Amino acid sequence: MTTRLNPDLTRPETRGLSRWQVLSWQVSGLALILAIWWLVTDILKLYPPYVFPGPKAVWTEISYGLWGTGPQDGKLLAAIAGSLRRVLTGYLVAVVLGGLTGLLMGAWLPLRATLGAYLTGLQSIPSIAFVPFAILFFGLNERAVLFVVILEGFIPVALAVSGALLNVPPALRIAGRTLGARGLALTWRVLLPASVPNLLTGLRTAWSFAWRALVGGELLIAGAKSLGEQLEVGRNTANVALVLSTIIIIGLIGGLFDSLLRAVETRVRRDYGLEVTQ
Amino acid sequence: MKKLHRSSRPTAFLALIGLLTLAPHTSAQQATTVRLGFFPNLTHAPALVGLERGLFQKALGNVKLDPRHFASGTTLTEAFAAGQIDIAYVGPGPAITAATRGMPVQFLAGASEAGAVLVARKDTPIRSYKDLSGKIVAVPSLGNTQDISLRHLLSEQGLKSRADGGTVTVVPVPPADTVSALAGRRADAALVPEPWGAALEAKGHRVIGTEKTVWRGGKYPTTLVIVNARFAQANPALVASFLKAHASAVAFLVKSPAAAQTAVNAQMDKLTGEKLDVRVLQRAFARTRFTTILDPEAMREYAILNVNAGYARSVPDLAPFFRK
Repeated sequence: MTTRLNPDLTRPETRGLSRWQVLSWQVSGLALILAIWWLVTDILKLYPPYVFPGPKAVWTEISYGLWGTGPQDGKLLAAIAGSLRRVLTGYLVAVVLGGLTGLLMGAWLPLRATLGAYLTGLQSIPSIAFVPFAILFFGLNERAVLFVVILEGFIPVALAVSGALLNVPPALRIAGRTLGARGLALTWRVLLPASVPNLLTGLRTAWSFAWRALVGGELLIAGAKSLGEQLEVGRNTANVALVLSTIIIIGLIGGLFDSLLRAVETRVRRDYGLEVTQ
Repeated sequence: MKKLHRSSRPTAFLALIGLLTLAPHTSAQQATTVRLGFFPNLTHAPALVGLERGLFQKALGNVKLDPRHFASGTTLTEAFAAGQIDIAYVGPGPAITAATRGMPVQFLAGASEAGAVLVARKDTPIRSYKDLSGKIVAVPSLGNTQDISLRHLLSEQGLKSRADGGTVTVVPVPPADTVSALAGRRADAALVPEPWGAALEAKGHRVIGTEKTVWRGGKYPTTLVIVNARFAQANPALVASFLKAHASAVAFLVKSPAAAQTAVNAQMDKLTGEKLDVRVLQRAFARTRFTTILDPEAMREYAILNVNAGYARSVPDLAPFFRK
């Protein structure tokens, strides 16, 4: 479950509800989940704490990890910084590479027919499957993680860019041609601006792919400050509270970026006249 | 997703609660099997000898022995926490972790001491612990016994792991895979339990830290026998018989090393499909001591190192966990 910062009023699932109604439902839902969790663990003690710790234990781990001041504290904060640095680097490279590849694929049919098909096939392979190869190729290090992140982010961007260029309404294409735009100029001045909404959807997909690939890669390639390493340490030291707090943080960061991108996307779609506002 | 029909919502909700309450349970009645956890390492030789020579099964009579081998303390501790293991051979790291987290664990006896070495790849300039700065060091798993030892000897040299803001990269690599990890230059050094240290040495890599310089002059437990406290409470006679068998396995290792090595090698071959060179095994044997004694003081010091390494917040009082 992710809590949305800007509930998107145009999404079918929240249509017809006011912003406050949506928010109050979300808050009470979260409260209910916390209450059940607390009941099952701390009150009824259905599970031993080393199997399923209660919300209090997890909160303790989060507070040590984020704003603790002891010599061993603040590790979650360092891990978040390390993981964000890594994912943003990988994501930017993936967007640039994927964007260029997508442009070429959109402009040239043979490339689209071949590479496009391969990329679609590659996309069906879970990112974690590339990790062993990346380790052998780059070693147990940063580069191996980045490779997996870039690969995972690159594919959706390339496919989204070429797909968006192809899905531009024919009327715009014909209008552009009539007004004298040809080749690159047509792509640059007509097709690209017309496909911005679809491009943004691709960027958002690429983000979630990259984020998942990152955590998977870090989990198997521990050794640097990262959320994946925190998961591994938690597992190795039977510290389930640390594992759960890391999972919560991974979900929050992923959801936060997703909502930000979604907010931009909605705004753009609205400006393009693709959304019905109330 | 299709919306749930209104009337089925409470049902779905109750089903969720039902799922959440499927708690794992460990039986507290008379056991008909003993599930034994261990690793296929030389430091677990008493377990290997006990299995190969049928000592455990003989001692347990008509209670069935169910041996299960694991790759590291991590996976074994997970199985122990889930109540799937009754008796286990583990390192002090996982044993103390189990105690710290409040698992129902009892320390029964010692099994082996020393038997861990730090090996550097032959083409690196690493000659001493100091040279590990900026290098990649492999340990069996994060938070295991060798990892805790490594962090301790790094801190003695004024070094830190990269995760702690230092210069040494510590990576988890299963001991059996360290041979290929060093060959493939994926690690520059490895702190491993025997026989993997001797196996690396046989490949021409350099031992830069012997079992004695690693910690406490070689007087440290590497493997001990633990039992699920609930299992021990329900089956005191079984646990006592198992301990007798464990003691005779240790005695056999001490008295007839040559025959014991053959037994260990046969069992290793069955479990991992790898037969070790006899000279490798002899060298590994020479660095490992087998004993049933478990030094509480060394265990306490381990618990302190565990806190220093950042794997626990406090040093637990281990006294209640020792078998009376």
